[in-house]
Amino acid sequence: MPLKVIEKRDVEPLIRHLMERFQVVGIKKKDGKNTYGVIESPAELRLDSCATITSPKKYFFPQRETLLQFAVDGSWEPQAVVEAQPRIIFGMRPCDIAATWMLDMAFSEVNADANYLEKRKRALIIGVDCKEPCDEYCFCKSMGTLEVETGYDLFFTAADDTYIVRTGTPEGEALLGEWGKAREALYEDRVKLRAVQREKDERFKEALEFDVEELPRFLEDSYRSLLWDVLGEKCLSCGSCNLVCPTCYCFNVLDEVKLNLSEGERYRVWDSCQLEGFAKVATGENFRERRGDRVRHRFFRKGKYMKEMFGRFGCVGCGRCTRACLVHINPIEVYNQLKGGE
Amino acid sequence: MDARLLPTVDLDTIFRPRLAQLLNVEEMTAKEKLFTFQLKDGTPLGQDPGQFVEVSVFGIGEAPISVSSSPTRGDTFELCVRAVGNVTNALHRMAPGATVGIRGPFGQGFPVEEMRGRNVLFVAGGLGLVPLRSLIHAVLDMRQDFGAVTILYGTKNPSELLFRNELAQWEARDDVDYQVTVDVADESWRGNVGVITTLFRGLPVDPRNTVAVIVGPPVMYRFVIREVLGKGLPMGRILVSLERRMKCGVGKCGHCQINGVYVCQKGPVFTYSELRNLQEAI
Amino acid sequence: MKPKIAVFEFSSCEGCQLMFANLEAEILEVLGAVEIVNFREIMTEKGDDYQIAFVEGAITQESEIERLKKIREQAKVLVALGACAHLGGVNCMKNYQDQEEVRRYVYKERAEWFDTIPARPLSAVVPVDYAVPGCPIDKKELLEVTKSLLLGKKPSLPDYPVCVECKMAENICVFDKGMTCLGPVTRAGCATICPTFGNKCEGCRGLVDNPNVNSHKQVLQEHGLSVQGILNSFRMFEGYLEVAK
Ligand SMILES: Cc1cc2nc3c(=O)[nH]c(=O)nc-3n(C[C@H](O)[C@H](O)[C@H](O)COP(=O)(O)OP(=O)(O)OC[C@H]3O[C@@H](n4cnc5c(N)ncnc54)[C@H](O)[C@@H]3O)c2cc1C
Ligand code: SF4
Ligand code: SF4
Ligand code: SF4
Ligand code: SF4
Ligand code: SF4
Ligand code: FES
Repeated sequence: MPLKVIEKRDVEPLIRHLMERFQVVGIKKKDGKNTYGVIESPAELRLDSCATITSPKKYFFPQRETLLQFAVDGSWEPQAVVEAQPRIIFGMRPCDIAATWMLDMAFSEVNADANYLEKRKRALIIGVDCKEPCDEYCFCKSMGTLEVETGYDLFFTAADDTYIVRTGTPEGEALLGEWGKAREALYEDRVKLRAVQREKDERFKEALEFDVEELPRFLEDSYRSLLWDVLGEKCLSCGSCNLVCPTCYCFNVLDEVKLNLSEGERYRVWDSCQLEGFAKVATGENFRERRGDRVRHRFFRKGKYMKEMFGRFGCVGCGRCTRACLVHINPIEVYNQLKGGE
Repeated sequence: MDARLLPTVDLDTIFRPRLAQLLNVEEMTAKEKLFTFQLKDGTPLGQDPGQFVEVSVFGIGEAPISVSSSPTRGDTFELCVRAVGNVTNALHRMAPGATVGIRGPFGQGFPVEEMRGRNVLFVAGGLGLVPLRSLIHAVLDMRQDFGAVTILYGTKNPSELLFRNELAQWEARDDVDYQVTVDVADESWRGNVGVITTLFRGLPVDPRNTVAVIVGPPVMYRFVIREVLGKGLPMGRILVSLERRMKCGVGKCGHCQINGVYVCQKGPVFTYSELRNLQEAI
Repeated sequence: MKPKIAVFEFSSCEGCQLMFANLEAEILEVLGAVEIVNFREIMTEKGDDYQIAFVEGAITQESEIERLKKIREQAKVLVALGACAHLGGVNCMKNYQDQEEVRRYVYKERAEWFDTIPARPLSAVVPVDYAVPGCPIDKKELLEVTKSLLLGKKPSLPDYPVCVECKMAENICVFDKGMTCLGPVTRAGCATICPTFGNKCEGCRGLVDNPNVNSHKQVLQEHGLSVQGILNSFRMFEGYLEVAK
């Protein structure tokens, strides 16, 4: 795929151009923190910011999403609801692009989930490279997600007064082609890109004290570790870690009827395996009753189960869960402690 | 992933139920009713014994329920439901003619083909008879294809016995060894008293050629599996059906997970050898 | 037959009354399925035939105990409406009393203030089937509960904490703004209204079923709250629980 170059000063016009045809979403400021939101004017978009509270997964898998419309008495065929609109996510970070890969796998495997996939397919992803770690919590480098080769339509890397743009798909290429202001990269640009990438890599430190490929084994060996009880005592079962995680995709399904009591909709909402009732059944049996068991389940999912299912880790090292956790349960510390054989 | 590599999907999604009509309701016990349904599009449900469906009572919600009837017996299907919560109580309030939604059948049922030619030892505890019944019917309908058939059934007390007519028929058959026990007897009870494991004493089991199929409440499994292992059965020929919280039934929502395994996908029927390394299973 | 709903009021604050008054029209008009037989002042408990009783307010006088028992006898379903009815305790008084009064109240000097019995939730007097928690109640939730009852569905309160809704709403956690918050142990369902508007959660909906109170206390301490401050923040709405212990 060709490499292109865009002058930084041309980015605003590009966004404006895209906004004419698409809903453009990206990172905006909210109360001094960052969140993904709809870009109303190009100046709002913060291509340099990262560490958003939640991940852009909400554009493919919203917090609440209608699945079905029905008549309470079943007098007409229930109608499946799939909402999707063309959209550009401008400024997705490498970690979130890697996380999107994971969600793509989860929602297309065996029973393809149209509600996710239609939104995903109608979205174009413009990635933006990180220059330095978002903060002390992220550990993307250790999880191998600091660089992504696929999963984007375009990918911007800042270099001096330009963005050097990798095109990942024909759609991405067409987007630039039709805009017309991107130029082909020259030899100097390639050199520059490599230099930027090298510098970037140096700024990121390894946070894991071992090769991440060993993680499933360490987890396996510590299934009965006391560490889970210790963490369980601290954990508030507040679910924040799951809700902000870009690879979590568990949900609950509920019915809501209209005021006429004769029609209604079925919807799904984000759920969290850390919540008390997640595995509880109507007879009162709770299959993951202890907090420590729930904490363990989360880490096993991220570091083992998803790897076994999909071939990649369910943690992309974005650090969101640590930022959100009031009792400082931090995956890197947990993983490193496991290695210590605790 | 490159969005072009994503599968094309049916916009008539995995979450849309088909409509089914309630044909008949039969009271089994104080808490359980047997419901007979037919899909409104006239097609048979197409279940394998041991599979389950997600039943919608629209406006209330969905619940996973085992199909209790065998595919060898006609185009209608039966669900036996205990009233415990919202959906199940709403079902209990329904009268023939009412409409529900059905998704599925889902999950992996019992491996009937692999069981052919073998002796079958059924062990049912309480509501566990409901999913087992579909397999028992299938086996009895193809009786000549199987070796010795033993059915052990236990409930807390006599009033909780399900499918009484059928129990009497099994009892009467020469080609079925049927034994029943209750934890606590009442005045009228003349049979065995004691937990289900007491039925294993002196029970003839040929470990070389028997498949054990065990379904019951979570507490039952550990003890019964120990008995069956004690009879010398290999772990791969011990089948169980597990219950977990389920929302989607199609491997997405995460609620049914046992360690790394989605019960709605890989189960609900498992061999004991599949479960042995899943610490959360039993 | 339309189910008949009656609404009763004990000692409650203006917030809850207002919320209900706003809803009256909606419930009456839109839910044509119900008939409201008793509404606040115009009620006489005896001999009325209603199936569902919504009861707001805490019990603060001997005479109210008798009245409530009569309501319980008549109603098939009794729903506690609002924090006062649901939790009793300090209930909605925080809205019009200053903090010092509230504190003295929970320090069991209430005799000075009320020539009555200690305020208590309905559930301390009669069995309560369901609750619409909150101070004031959330309109949407009240409608959901009403709809559920009419559909024969058990209205279920979320058994997870406010943080869940707060994270879904992508709020900035008020702990990050130097405040403290009871969200991690408080039952969700209010659409995290206080943190959404930059305020801390004061726990008006009561605790989740199994809160990790110890760990939460440590969090509060870490963020500068003294033990006394912690007690006070809990007593705001959990006052009755503590008195009951
Ligand atoms: C594979 C499978 C087969 C089952 N077969 C039968 C059967 O044949 N007959 C029968 O009476 N019961 C069966 N159950 C149990 C039945 O699913 C629950 O009793 C039922 O979901 C309770 O729903 P509710 O809405 O009435 O209860 P509520 O307490 O209102 O539950 C709310 C929701 O939680 C989930 N849930 C609660 N309990 C369970 C549970 N035990 N298992 C799974 N999800 C649960 C459901 O999504 C349910 O709708 C089966 C469960 C599974 C997993
Ligand atoms: S964010 Fe922290 S306290 Fe909350 S559930 Fe996750 S690990 Fe537990
Ligand atoms: S587990 Fe934590 S660090 Fe890993 S992807 Fe999820 S939120 Fe990010
Ligand atoms: S976690 Fe890594 S890849 Fe993700 S935004 Fe932060 S620095 Fe970038
Ligand atoms: S503001 Fe309160 S409710 Fe919201 S996340 Fe923080 S602690 Fe939880
Ligand atoms: S955020 Fe807390 S105090 Fe505010 S309404 Fe909700 S439960 Fe009540
Ligand atoms: S029931 Fe949803 S994943 Fe199994």
